[in-house]
Amino acid sequence: MSHPSEMISAFLDGELNAQEAAGLKAHLGSCGRCAGELEEFQRVRSAVRSLPLLELPAGLVSGADAELIPLRRHRGVMVGAAAAIVALVVAFAAMLTPPSPTVSIDDLSSRFGARVSLDPAFGPAKVVVPDWETEGIEEE
Amino acid sequence: MRRLGPAVVILLLIPSVASATELSELLEQGRGAGYTAEQVISCSTPDGVRDALVRIEQSGAEIRIGAGVPTGTEVSVGAGGWALLHQGGVVEEATITGSSATVESPYEVEDLGAESFLGRDATAHRLVRDGVLRAELVFDDETGALVRAVTFDASGDAYCVRRFVSFDDQDPMLPMKEPSTLSDVSPVEPVGTTFPESVTGFSRVDQYEDVDGFRFAYYSDGFFSFAVFEAPTRVALEEVTTVTFGDRSYQRVFTAGQAIYSWETRNRGMALVGDLPPDLHQAVLEALPAPRDPGLFRRIWRSLFG
Repeated sequence: MSHPSEMISAFLDGELNAQEAAGLKAHLGSCGRCAGELEEFQRVRSAVRSLPLLELPAGLVSGADAELIPLRRHRGVMVGAAAAIVALVVAFAAMLTPPSPTVSIDDLSSRFGARVSLDPAFGPAKVVVPDWETEGIEEE
Repeated sequence: MRRLGPAVVILLLIPSVASATELSELLEQGRGAGYTAEQVISCSTPDGVRDALVRIEQSGAEIRIGAGVPTGTEVSVGAGGWALLHQGGVVEEATITGSSATVESPYEVEDLGAESFLGRDATAHRLVRDGVLRAELVFDDETGALVRAVTFDASGDAYCVRRFVSFDDQDPMLPMKEPSTLSDVSPVEPVGTTFPESVTGFSRVDQYEDVDGFRFAYYSDGFFSFAVFEAPTRVALEEVTTVTFGDRSYQRVFTAGQAIYSWETRNRGMALVGDLPPDLHQAVLEALPAPRDPGLFRRIWRSLFG
């Protein structure tokens, strides 16, 4: 194998099949020039990825050229926008929805029961029954 | 339905305020009595029959009501108020104070004469409102205790039957409850509430607001009563039936003796708890704030955080 620069780039992009990748790895182990080239590719790639993503002004590129913008950049913008929308919705909801205690039927029944007990119409035969269940009641 | 018990409610009876003279006189008879009884409550509701068996101990002005199912998981107690117990421990409690407002009772009381109940001399009465039979009450002659009460729907069908199935007229001598452990809940004038002053023959007697941020108003017509709650969140009911009155949709649960409705307005959870017969429910609910979609943000928040 000579010095396969194109294969190194394809290897980094994950475009080699298993056999090609194995062959390249074997070559990299014995070729200092290609191993150095691989390192250089990786360094440049990392540097590019660390750059901030910029949104192109409208009309800067024609419609046809715009389609050539790498998919990864589109995906990053979309993910960022979605995250921003979710964050906004959560923030709005948090502002508009106060923290709430749990209110259950027992809370309500006990309060109503206590109040009705003070009413002149309350009598032992007009009992406010809490929320429990009985089974198999046999009336005498 | 969740099973709770042995639920105990200690209800301290405050001296009567006012109602129709005849009805209040009847109900006053048994306030000083001392006895122990078992009571069956059976209600034929639109969602099915709801039954309960309770034990009642009354000594003077204090009454203790306990459930007949001894699972011991949760208890509701009042001592001139209410408390919530979990496995015997008090987790929340408060005294409650009624206002001195009077309710003009619309009921006519008809005397049905003497009868025997559980082998004891008793007297029966009938309550009629606007020409509609609403209740039949039987009082024990010796103690004045209300030993049988049947409430009726407008159609004449019995709604709830509450009757003693055992009766011992010995004073149970109930132990006193420590009032110092209770926080106070007294009538207030909550700001910004939507509780109307009267609702189809029921008068707003008083209203309350507590530290949890929910408010309730108590309504009575001198015999039946209900409370309307405003909560900062949705009221959680289990095993509900969804019912629709006109274009309004509610969630409903019946227990033995109570109907509970819950719904949401734009920014509040609402609930109604009361013992009024089912034929009165729609008119009462229509006089209260209508159900509304809680809005996009509340739904999103709820879906995200429950």
